[in-house]
Amino acid sequence: MDPVERLYLDALMEDPAVPAQSLRPQLLAGARARRRPAAPTAAWAEPYAGRVAAMDALLASAVDDDWSRIIVEGWTLQELVAHLAAKDGLLASSVGAPVLGPPIGATDSMGRTSDVQAYERARSPEQTRRDWRAQADALCRHLAGLPATTPATLDGMEIPVSDHILARGLETWIHADDAAKTAQIRLPDPIPEHIRPTADLCARLLPWTMLFSGLNGAGRTLHLTLTGPGGGEWLLPLGVEESSPGEPDTHITADVVKFCFLLGGRGDPADFPAELSGDLALARDVLTTAPAFSGP
Amino acid sequence: MEAPYDDRLLHQRVVGGDESALGEVYDRFSSLIFGLSLRVTRDRVIAEDITQEVFLVFWERPLAYDPDRGTLRAWLATIAHRRAVDHVRAEERRRVSALGPRLFEREPARLEDTVLAADEAARVRQALTELPDSLRQAVELAYFGGRTYRQVGEELGVPEGTAKSRIRLALKRLADALAEEEV
Repeated sequence: MDPVERLYLDALMEDPAVPAQSLRPQLLAGARARRRPAAPTAAWAEPYAGRVAAMDALLASAVDDDWSRIIVEGWTLQELVAHLAAKDGLLASSVGAPVLGPPIGATDSMGRTSDVQAYERARSPEQTRRDWRAQADALCRHLAGLPATTPATLDGMEIPVSDHILARGLETWIHADDAAKTAQIRLPDPIPEHIRPTADLCARLLPWTMLFSGLNGAGRTLHLTLTGPGGGEWLLPLGVEESSPGEPDTHITADVVKFCFLLGGRGDPADFPAELSGDLALARDVLTTAPAFSGP
Repeated sequence: MEAPYDDRLLHQRVVGGDESALGEVYDRFSSLIFGLSLRVTRDRVIAEDITQEVFLVFWERPLAYDPDRGTLRAWLATIAHRRAVDHVRAEERRRVSALGPRLFEREPARLEDTVLAADEAARVRQALTELPDSLRQAVELAYFGGRTYRQVGEELGVPEGTAKSRIRLALKRLADALAEEEV
């Protein structure tokens, strides 16, 4: 912005002009009608509700061509949105929330994805967007009344619903980012308060991603430093049975958002930007196996 | 110029569908946006409509704003300016066509991404030259020389606080000078 423009705006700010009546109440009422805010939900599900709202803002600007463009996994944007709705629906079904779209047939995420995609292909992209958003908001509303520790199962994994919904939030974030990249739109990161619990889930998954890849980290401890807004320090036992960490054997320092995306299958572990110290082989094993749970 | 951290955080919250963030954006910038719209349109009702619309656009299409490319204030002001100028031009066209057949079809100039038209910018520059030297120098160093308050103080041989209050005072005088010309 040129200096005269800045000077002009700064001068105007010294000369407050005020509408006859505050426009604030009208504005907020009008805003609701133009774009739905994040669905009210339990505090631990807010990172998910926030990513749903962000994805929806992105979808609002999609035009016809955007919907038929391939984003990831050979899926068009419409099919990708159907995939998100499919997995959200399975989680909803697991905790007794309303399931929208076709009646539940297949109960694994790929099977359900095929069912929902087949159903949505006969509908307009705008309807698919509405169906996905309605499913997400119904899930949010239902979670508002549930304890965080309520067990939930998705693809055979039984963990507290609060962890499942963080994983849904991460997947929604990553796919929104995939779609934004295709559309050449810059999608801002979630707020730090939403990144933090997401990163915490990712950190807690590390012993499992190692085990799933055939490596047993029992008896070893990782010191993880995640930098940037929403980051922090973790001392993690790498054995799945262990609840308390020992002396750290290795230390990984990385950007918090890049770390979450690594777990979500974005980025190559081989050139993942991180500072490693201590047992380097162990640190590399942790990073190499980190994307183990990332699927479509 | 990249946006400050506050702008980024407000933007992140609005993208995430947080209505209270929109309220905060309104509280922070509504008087500026209303003032700017009023200066261009000279109509309080229209200026209110434009103000409302500017914040609604930000809420509805938050990804249209990119904090890497400028401040939120400048982005909102640019939209307000564009809408206000559009309104004034539409009014002019309406008035002209009410007068009868037009002899000259004036093509509206392509609107640039700006918060003030060339004649307004000239008025700001003119008002600046009419400030007392001590105030004008402080503003020139800060705005055109890219100096911080502390550096302005050093160059003028006054404490940082004095430099800051001179700039504040200069901005108030500029605002008054620009307001007077409206009447």
